[in-house]
Amino acid sequence: MTAAIAWEMVSVEVLRLRRNRALMAFAGVLSIVVIALFFGYSALQHASDPAHHAPAGGSHGFGHAVKALGLYFGALTAMLIGTEAGTADVASGVFRDLVATGRSRLALFAVRAPAAIAVSLAVNAVAFAVTLGATFLLAGGTATPSASLILQSAGWIALCDVILAALAVGVGSLTGSRSVTLTAVIGWQMVATMLLMNVRSLGSVRDGLLTASLGQLMPVPGDVGIRVGTGVAILVMAAWLIVPAAGGAWRTCRRDA
Amino acid sequence: MTTTNIIETRGLGKRFGERPAVIDLNLTVPRACAFGFLGHNGAGKTTLIRMLLGLTSPDAGEMRIAGRPVPQDRAVVLQRVGAIVEEPHFHAHLTGRENLRVAAAARGPAARGRIEPALRRVGLSDRGDDRVGTYSQGMRQRLGVARCLLADPELLILDEPMNGLDPGGILELRTMIAGLTDEGRTVFLSSHLLDEVEKTCNAAAVIDRGRIIAQGPISELLRDQRAELDIDCADGRTALDLLDSHPSVAAAQRTPDGVRVTPVGADGAAAINARLVGAGIAVSRLQPVHDSLERRFLELTSSVGDAS
Repeated sequence: MTAAIAWEMVSVEVLRLRRNRALMAFAGVLSIVVIALFFGYSALQHASDPAHHAPAGGSHGFGHAVKALGLYFGALTAMLIGTEAGTADVASGVFRDLVATGRSRLALFAVRAPAAIAVSLAVNAVAFAVTLGATFLLAGGTATPSASLILQSAGWIALCDVILAALAVGVGSLTGSRSVTLTAVIGWQMVATMLLMNVRSLGSVRDGLLTASLGQLMPVPGDVGIRVGTGVAILVMAAWLIVPAAGGAWRTCRRDA
Repeated sequence: MTTTNIIETRGLGKRFGERPAVIDLNLTVPRACAFGFLGHNGAGKTTLIRMLLGLTSPDAGEMRIAGRPVPQDRAVVLQRVGAIVEEPHFHAHLTGRENLRVAAAARGPAARGRIEPALRRVGLSDRGDDRVGTYSQGMRQRLGVARCLLADPELLILDEPMNGLDPGGILELRTMIAGLTDEGRTVFLSSHLLDEVEKTCNAAAVIDRGRIIAQGPISELLRDQRAELDIDCADGRTALDLLDSHPSVAAAQRTPDGVRVTPVGADGAAAINARLVGAGIAVSRLQPVHDSLERRFLELTSSVGDAS
């Protein structure tokens, strides 16, 4: 497959995702609207009772918003978009017609993750822009984040997006079912992981949880309750990136179309 | 195996668990013709198509498309093959034009330039910017054919393409298939609409319970059918009594308008007519029974059923 064909295939995959109005609406609500609501509500609280509520923006508000985008709401967006990218061809029946073109199944799989990541990054970039705007506009004279922290935060949110979108693409390609993938990925990442991180008796087993590793690299103050080494965090993230992708690729190549 | 045939299979077999779907299947489809592939539901038609396209693997035998072995040379072969399997599927939220762009992206840069001509050819240029979710089933079928045309296909494999088409749509598709074969392309048409296959195709194969039981030009498939005559007359009962023991009649039966007979010999019809008229029975119509593919198909498939 030439680079031009790969680029065109990723482009139409992006087109397919962004033309899905329901998907984009939910993705926008989960990241952009939630962040806007977070700052709006904090601003109202500060306006009504400045003595007990800090300004919505500034470094404090920025830190909360970055954590929410990377680990929760932006993550949900990435998983939602990744699931759609991983399952849509099979669920709609178009996979059969694409296989019948003679294009390799591996190539059909390989274009899904870049497209899901691109769309997910675009949505969360808007949410991050809202965060930045609110951080400075609603700082109320408090300290604001440095350019370095802003760049590190943007990079960290992008890293979370990449891993979670690719994870959802891999699981989606493995199952071929939107509902199963959404339940499995969101259930694991948002419910099971949160519970397991609080089970201290698991000890270092918890280091294998993706959220623990992402939390380790989080540039803003705060943690997720578990401390792991940076090297371990990188290995764990690589595993969460590679294993589901390998599973999805294997299933795409073996699936009866 | 030669390249004068666009599809050739030898000893092809496929099982789903314990159930054989295709058994020792030998099929030859000549180039530049419309080839009908007939069979009851579950006879193995779609299984063969899916194996040809590499959607599922055969358990035995070999296949060639345009002289090349598949699945070994599948990627090269399928560049010039367009196919609709069972029914065309699309992303409902994309427009017709965007759906074609999705397929064209997988086929390569040349295919993108064929999107507009393909839409024009199937009569969907005006609706190309509407979402496929708003298309009728007939329009989806036409869009499916347009997607096939993106390959500039040597071979089009159409699985039940008449499904969902109104009579006008069927006529359009028939005309389009004729046009495609005139251009030197081969159309492999799987259908249960036997009358349509008879009108559309030059040659056909009949598959029953996974085995090919007849194949060849339509005219040859019909040739060995026994000739029959429908005779419309005023007194069918008397006519039947007269003809039942007549030496020029092999078999006779009543029909609502008279009798149907199987004459013996080339001049049997003349002798039968003379016998009826001589007995004072007015014959208003004497017509050979049309050799229909449907009838031949039912004879073939039911005889296989009897044998087993």
